[in-house]
Amino acid sequence: MSTEIEELSELDLSKFFDRPWVCIVWDDPVNLQSYVTYVFIKLFGFSKEKANKLMMQVHTEGKAVVSAGSREAMENDVQRLHEHGLWATLQREDHG
Amino acid sequence: MGEFKGTPATGDLTVALSNDELHILINLVEQLLELLGERNFIHHYQSDDPFAQLMAAQLMSMEPLSAPEDPVLNRLLPNAYADPDAADEFRKFTEPRLRQIKQQHLLYLREQLVFPVDHELPKADIAISDAQQWLLALNDLRLALAVRLEVSVDTFEKFELMPDSEPKKSLLAVYFWLGGIQEKLLDHL
Repeated sequence: MSTEIEELSELDLSKFFDRPWVCIVWDDPVNLQSYVTYVFIKLFGFSKEKANKLMMQVHTEGKAVVSAGSREAMENDVQRLHEHGLWATLQREDHG
Repeated sequence: MGEFKGTPATGDLTVALSNDELHILINLVEQLLELLGERNFIHHYQSDDPFAQLMAAQLMSMEPLSAPEDPVLNRLLPNAYADPDAADEFRKFTEPRLRQIKQQHLLYLREQLVFPVDHELPKADIAISDAQQWLLALNDLRLALAVRLEVSVDTFEKFELMPDSEPKKSLLAVYFWLGGIQEKLLDHL
């Protein structure tokens, strides 16, 4: 295999395209674990298993990406999460 | 007290609350309503009245809205972006609506709580007509109390060791009691 091809295969193409937006939920010491799981199921239609896994990720890692898509869609998700008292922000997807 | 029976699906969800509990809840609800109502252009925001629409149009052309200074409001109406300029721009279009939604939930909860108080009942079995509004209003009350009481991950341990003479202890007791109510409500949804 030539080194050129090897370099090309390692090339990160994402920087040539618009990165999608993501909605992030941050950990806080107040919201009940059962409530956060409930809200994830209610707003995103996740299975109980997936919602619980994401809730635990927020709890143990301090944050979790809960959805990805257009900026408008993520703004809508953040707004709905704020209505439910969850601490959420949106940003460009982070590859770093 | 604070026990739930029934489910929203069967339309028979009720909660039993003592008179003291009702008064504590009403007091918290009213304090938070007062705080949320400080930027009181909200009720003009969505209206059929031409004058109100004009006001709303002016509101939309206003400068970006900065984050509220009160830490409770800052928690209930948080920034959507880490970048302050983007956050303020987003807030301009969304904060009035978000405030209005939170006010509606609290006004609904207040309406449910004041009936037994107005009729001087010693305790109440309140028929919950909208469990979602209860759930969201309770959560906002807990968030608000937590900010004021500076709740952190080890607050419960500290609370248990606190002497009863500590002024903060009774408010923390209310905070944990609210958490218990919310947990029980979730079990019935």
